[in-house]
Amino acid sequence: MVSAPDLVRVAAPGPPAETARHRAGTPRRRQRAMGRAALWWLSPALLLIGGVVIYPAIELIDASFGRYSITGLRLGPAGDANYTNVLAHPATPAVLTNTLVWVVAVVVPTILLSLALAQFLSLEFAGRRIVRWAVLVPWAASLVITSRLFTLLFDYYHGILNRLLLALHVVGRPVDWLGDDRFTMLSIVTVGVFVTVPFTTYVLLAGLNAIPEEVYEAARIDGAGWWQTYRHVTLPLLRPALLVAAVLNIIYVFNSFPVVYTLNDRNPGFSHDTSITFMYKLAFKSADHDVGMAAAAGVMNVALILVAVVIYLRLVDWRKDHS
Amino acid sequence: MRPQHRWALVAGALALSLGLAACSGGTGAGTAGSGNGDPVKEIKVVIAEMSKDHTAAFWNAFAKTYQRRTGVKLKVQIISWNDVDQQTSTMVQNGNPPDILNLNAYASYAKDGLLYDSDEVLPDRTKADILDAFVKSGTYKNKLYGFPDLSSVRALFYNKKLFAKAGVAHPPRTWDEFVTTAKKITALGDGTVGYAQPLGPEEAQAEFSIWLFNNGGDWKSHGRWSINSPKNVQTLRFLKDLSVKHKVTQNNPGKTNRTDGAFPLFQHGKAGMVVGFGPLQAALDSDYPDVDYGIAPMPSSGGGPPQTYGVTDYLMAFKKAGNRDAVRKFYELYYSPDQINTWIKAEGFLPVTKSGLKVFASDPSLEVYLDTLPNVHLTPTDDPTWDKVKIAVQQNLGEAVASDGDPQKVLDRLQQMAESGG
Amino acid sequence: MTAVAPTHPPGLWRRLRPRVLSLTGILIGTVFLAPYAVMLLDALRPAADVLQSPPTLLPRHWQLSTFGDVLADLRFRSWLTTSVIVAVTSTAIVIAAAVPAAYVTARHRFPGRTAFLLLVLVTQLFSPTSLVVGLYREFFQLNLVNTYLAIILTNAAFNLAFAVWILHGFFASVPKEVEEAAELDGCSRPRTVLRVMLPLIRPGIVTAVIFSFIAAWNEYVVALTLMQDDSKKPLNVGINAYVTGYEQHWDQMFAASLLAIVPVVVLFVMIEKHLVGGLTAGSVK
Repeated sequence: MVSAPDLVRVAAPGPPAETARHRAGTPRRRQRAMGRAALWWLSPALLLIGGVVIYPAIELIDASFGRYSITGLRLGPAGDANYTNVLAHPATPAVLTNTLVWVVAVVVPTILLSLALAQFLSLEFAGRRIVRWAVLVPWAASLVITSRLFTLLFDYYHGILNRLLLALHVVGRPVDWLGDDRFTMLSIVTVGVFVTVPFTTYVLLAGLNAIPEEVYEAARIDGAGWWQTYRHVTLPLLRPALLVAAVLNIIYVFNSFPVVYTLNDRNPGFSHDTSITFMYKLAFKSADHDVGMAAAAGVMNVALILVAVVIYLRLVDWRKDHS
Repeated sequence: MRPQHRWALVAGALALSLGLAACSGGTGAGTAGSGNGDPVKEIKVVIAEMSKDHTAAFWNAFAKTYQRRTGVKLKVQIISWNDVDQQTSTMVQNGNPPDILNLNAYASYAKDGLLYDSDEVLPDRTKADILDAFVKSGTYKNKLYGFPDLSSVRALFYNKKLFAKAGVAHPPRTWDEFVTTAKKITALGDGTVGYAQPLGPEEAQAEFSIWLFNNGGDWKSHGRWSINSPKNVQTLRFLKDLSVKHKVTQNNPGKTNRTDGAFPLFQHGKAGMVVGFGPLQAALDSDYPDVDYGIAPMPSSGGGPPQTYGVTDYLMAFKKAGNRDAVRKFYELYYSPDQINTWIKAEGFLPVTKSGLKVFASDPSLEVYLDTLPNVHLTPTDDPTWDKVKIAVQQNLGEAVASDGDPQKVLDRLQQMAESGG
Repeated sequence: MTAVAPTHPPGLWRRLRPRVLSLTGILIGTVFLAPYAVMLLDALRPAADVLQSPPTLLPRHWQLSTFGDVLADLRFRSWLTTSVIVAVTSTAIVIAAAVPAAYVTARHRFPGRTAFLLLVLVTQLFSPTSLVVGLYREFFQLNLVNTYLAIILTNAAFNLAFAVWILHGFFASVPKEVEEAAELDGCSRPRTVLRVMLPLIRPGIVTAVIFSFIAAWNEYVVALTLMQDDSKKPLNVGINAYVTGYEQHWDQMFAASLLAIVPVVVLFVMIEKHLVGGLTAGSVK
């Protein structure tokens, strides 16, 4: 069977394979030329990143080593006290567990649902455009607004969800979706998946659209069934898009603040917080009210997500070239 | 240029970033200082947003008047209550606090030496005009730093129709009567709740305060913290029993807030009683005409005289080079009767000055509040530790009233926290 | 593009298939729109009715004036203007910075290539909530607090990573021959990229544009911190004014939120057709 990657070099990051026969100039001179000029091509991006992200990141690290008053006034150096305080905080183990559950429970279903949805949206049928617009809406709406909306929908007394479930006799009494510890995480995760699927679907859709028709023709000529084709043709060609979607989802879901914070707003304590909302509460909404501690938590969050992403990339062997 | 030189450029750009970060270690243009220096041409005030229609309107007009009178520009930044803590902290961390800040706490800022006191910026006649209870709560270490801007007082709101239906003749005066009343109303069924109790993180400290004052307890007693005093533990147990034992409250009070939990239940006639204040009254009058409500003093545990709980927010002034004069003029203008009372009236709150009391006395619907205002109980905002304790209460009190909650343990923890300085 | 079709569909399935697909589409559309339909119904009833218990799906009293009221509100209009300025400009900057970076990392080897890609990824690891204090300090030093430029640059920087990564994949898939043919024709490298390659990777550009626009449109915490004048707040921040602890105009808040979704959907509808095409221009879509 003709393997698609031979036809189209849609592979993991890497320049197309060059053979000496096809190159216009001599190999070494061109590569050297690019080495110098590459900087110019990268410079706008580097300027933006250097100016806007690196500086505050350094400030964050700097703040994590400071001792702060409750007002935010810096009182002096703290050594590593902030870090040890965060690690020793009684809520930290629960927060870390919640974070793991949150990320996995949102990213995995999102990827699976988005794969299916992207496939569906690439089919031809009447009304497809409208469905595509509908799928866009949760992404187009701001997370803050959607979270506040769901807070209303999930409410015990004035939430429409309970009303619906009662009317359909699915439950006998209203359910406290956000307050009952058994359901809180489930409710928050559901909203998380709901708002993440549209973006992921469109990333995968872009990837699907990059696969040329000929590839499927070839598979069909070879007699492959739809599942075989999906597994051996579509999925491998979707790899780059899947990679981008998965990695970015892990990062965005981990760093997601409004959904967890807003839906958890009425609950005292830290029992349903993820590491990002915990960090925020450390700074402003806890008895610690300590921005130094929060900065330390912020740095540790970055380390955590970095480790997670590196592990993931290793697992999927991201540099593997297909040909 | 050789490749190495190009990459040196990149390294240089990043190093520049590092350098900027390192060298800016101190404060920015707006340094907290002694207040001396060349007079400033503009000052900034941060106001917490009370309402969409009135806050911005009043303060923008105020800014114009201020500029006309003093020639100094007044920049107004309006922030929602949800975000004001974070924004204030960000500004202070960067050494750029506003000149005047509207917040519900001030003592920590005073403790850090960031604020002007009344001798420096408040006209004498204004200080004499402020109600004594507020002067006391705004004073830290014998100096007045927290200047009140408006106040509110809590009272027991009850639904007359539900009372009549349940055969309750008058609002309860003792805690036992309260439980009986709530039970009768809950028995009406159809989702009716005897008492809507908000002990969620929004204002748990307020709800707890109003009950504990009516049991003879207090947050501090003779200058020392008394959070886990036997009376307070008794109060918290009583509050827990309301939902767990007597079952007269709405579902999960420890996770219910006022604005989107307790108040809507009362506004839609589903709750017999709720602790409310001015804005609730205004909302009931304008948007919920179906609710025939009455306002009564809180029941006290043994039937003694009812105690009132009140809240005031503060307009504090930060010391910055050259702004003392402009700040003083700000307060002169704000406390002039046609300014302060206009805003208070527009937002539906209560005055903070003796002269204001007289102005508002002409409104009969406020009588119930104004009578109690001079003797109102406040939380110990004059103690910087309270700033942390309050947050701890908000975050933890709800857990104490859950079915598996332990009021003694929670209060012990809070007491410990307060005693260790927060 | 049709999906992989079964080799010999039975006649019944061939007849039913379009209906089944459309029906499934309706179902899916409903799932995604349902909460926002509730939001719409809440925007069409008085604020007092929004939190009633038990709730009713359809309003007991219809109030149709809210959308008009919100649109007439001067504060709303200035928030909307700010959002448009910030989202459009920062998206343009993102594309302008991401295209060259993605091109060069996708199609050429040079020292530091992987480092750059990882650096771009690392910038995404920082939550804006952690960085906001540092951002405030930096812009304060540069006297750029309360300026459009500050949040435009911030949004551009934060959204760069996605654009670079997705364009990277698309650039990598352009056949070498295309680039070489252009070169033989005498095109300089920038021209090749602009004139020849960009049209081929339109889906990637469109996805990057939508992503950057939405991200900038809905950004909250940095805009909240840097924009102090009420008129310079973007929609997402300004809308908070409608529901405070003391007055809750849920109807206006929801109307404003729905109005805020409209520009995004409009943009999407305009550029949607470019989601396909480019490399696969010959295929049936």
